[in-house]
Amino acid sequence: MLTIANLKKSFSTSAGDVPAVNDVSFAAKPGEMVAIIGPSGSGKSTLLSMLGLLDSPDSGSLTLDGRELASLSPAERTHFRAKQVGFVFQQFNLIPNLTARENIMLSLEFAEFPKSQRRARADEMLTMVGLTSDKGDRRPAKLSGGEQQRVAIARAFANRPPLILADEPTGSLDRATGKKIVALLREAASAQDATVLVVTHDEAVAQQADRRLEIEDGVLTEIA
Amino acid sequence: MNAITRGVKNTFRNSIRTVGIIAILTVAIALSISMLVARDAVNTKISSVRATTGNTISVSPAGFFGFSGGGTALTTADIDKISSIAHVTSVRSAFTQRLTSTDTSLTAPTPSGTLGNQFGGGFGGGGGGGGFGGGGTFTPPVRVVGTNSPGTALVGGANGGGTEKLTAGTAFAANSSADVAVIGTNLASTNSLKVGSTFTAWGKTITVVGIYSAQSTFADSEVLMPLATVQTLSGNPHSIDSATVYVDSVDNVSAVQRQIKAQLGTAADVTNVQQQAEAQLAPLNSVKTITTYTLIGTVIGAGIILLLSMLMIVRERRREIGVLKALGAPNGSVIRQFIAEATTFTVLGSLFGFIAGILLANPITTTLVNNSSNSATTGGGRFGFGGGGFGGGGGGGGFHFGGFRSFGNALTSVHTSVGWSTLAFAFVIALLVAVIGSSVAVATIARVRPAEVLRSE
Repeated sequence: MLTIANLKKSFSTSAGDVPAVNDVSFAAKPGEMVAIIGPSGSGKSTLLSMLGLLDSPDSGSLTLDGRELASLSPAERTHFRAKQVGFVFQQFNLIPNLTARENIMLSLEFAEFPKSQRRARADEMLTMVGLTSDKGDRRPAKLSGGEQQRVAIARAFANRPPLILADEPTGSLDRATGKKIVALLREAASAQDATVLVVTHDEAVAQQADRRLEIEDGVLTEIA
Repeated sequence: MNAITRGVKNTFRNSIRTVGIIAILTVAIALSISMLVARDAVNTKISSVRATTGNTISVSPAGFFGFSGGGTALTTADIDKISSIAHVTSVRSAFTQRLTSTDTSLTAPTPSGTLGNQFGGGFGGGGGGGGFGGGGTFTPPVRVVGTNSPGTALVGGANGGGTEKLTAGTAFAANSSADVAVIGTNLASTNSLKVGSTFTAWGKTITVVGIYSAQSTFADSEVLMPLATVQTLSGNPHSIDSATVYVDSVDNVSAVQRQIKAQLGTAADVTNVQQQAEAQLAPLNSVKTITTYTLIGTVIGAGIILLLSMLMIVRERRREIGVLKALGAPNGSVIRQFIAEATTFTVLGSLFGFIAGILLANPITTTLVNNSSNSATTGGGRFGFGGGGFGGGGGGGGFHFGGFRSFGNALTSVHTSVGWSTLAFAFVIALLVAVIGSSVAVATIARVRPAEVLRSE
């Protein structure tokens, strides 16, 4: 269970402090897919960075399965990300000189997944996202955008993290492929009982989520 | 695939850049290895020359050098005084004379030529050389070296310096006073002399007991005879015109030199061969300095090349570093990956550089030594002239001539070799380059914040 309470984050500019995330509170259950929508500059990526422990909040509470995360040390944050968080990026962010399978195995390595089981788990994930084994031997440049995003999803879910953060996962894909990718995220979330937060400005993507939250000027509101 | 494997694999990510970086590193490391080997070779040569020349002192009559200048000959009594000084292990004495056609049946092998006529005429009026000048035509005399150390002379010491080898017969005893001689091959050939043949000198019949070769026209035209015989036959009993004093240790040379000067006063010029050697070694010391600075420069250069390359690579992969950190890679893991990449560049550059460096070491060393030794060779020529002249009084120039000519030849024959120390040093160089090359990259990686990298997406 992900719980956020009164989370605040502001950035210093020459014009003074600008609030990016302003007193945000919400909770998300395991297996649930939550879409956070908002225009550019609304604070959704900042919120996602804090949820992924890439950034620290100025104040507020952030807990996952009852564990307070906001006060973790940098080393603990790194360890937490490796074990508890999966990331899916708009630009896929696969390592270009590694094969699809090696990219998946990378997150397993950081999560200290047993070495002997990494390859089998990577193949399992490839199958789960609908890629054949020979695609696993290809480097990202030899895969289509949709296939690359599937690999990224496989990488995010590989070590069974309870929290998946997807930042504009369909932003670089055509509408049809995007729809499939969101459906895949949803299936994976259900299958692994993971909470999936999808940040998007695409209403069609948000429609596929269980819940929709809107963020504007750092203020989050639930859309009925 | 762990961080190290990823780092090694990343080395070959961009083949053109990889080849470029390795090629530049190869050149830099090859140069540093060449400089290292050259420095070692020169150092060895300097030590060797110092070891072999450092414990001797030259003594000659004041104002006398070769056949030039004047002065009064030293005596065996002077040599006895020197021999009694503490730390002196032996004294090798010589007395050199010239035989004109009226003194000997021998004919000098070398025609007078323009130089002989010039110097023979020019110096004709000096010291004991009045008979050599004459009017327009000069007949070169035959040079006779009386020595109490024929063995040394014939294996490379007193006469002609280092290259005399007996080709027939035997040498005479050190304390001999017999009418015998060992002659150079040129002289033997010109006068059709063999071992057992005789010739006349100062009215006496002298028997040839040995023939030597020194690979030098001048040295091979000389006669070596017992010191006592030359002193007696030339009418200069007890006269010495040059002596080489051997001291038990390099550390005692200066003290012995001072004592000899105190004993002989102004009657003798006392020079430390070590000082002469140092003057001759100056070009080699220059080469040593040049190679040392070049070595340091190339190591730093190689490090900077790698540093800039790695910095470029890290900046280029800033997003990738951010992604790795976002996925949970610890700083240490990412740093290890880039250090492995820098190390692979260094290892490959070092490998190729080491091979190229070894191949280039000898020609580079030879070129450096030859170029820098030009001045030394010129210096040797000046001394050679002194020894080769035919004016003035007395003799004994052979000692000096031989000594310096020997240095000149030896200094240019520097041989390179690669030992374990070179390999160890090459390893240290590679390590140093890798450390320098990785340092800034490591600091940059540590500063990369994944949130900032991903926010710019």
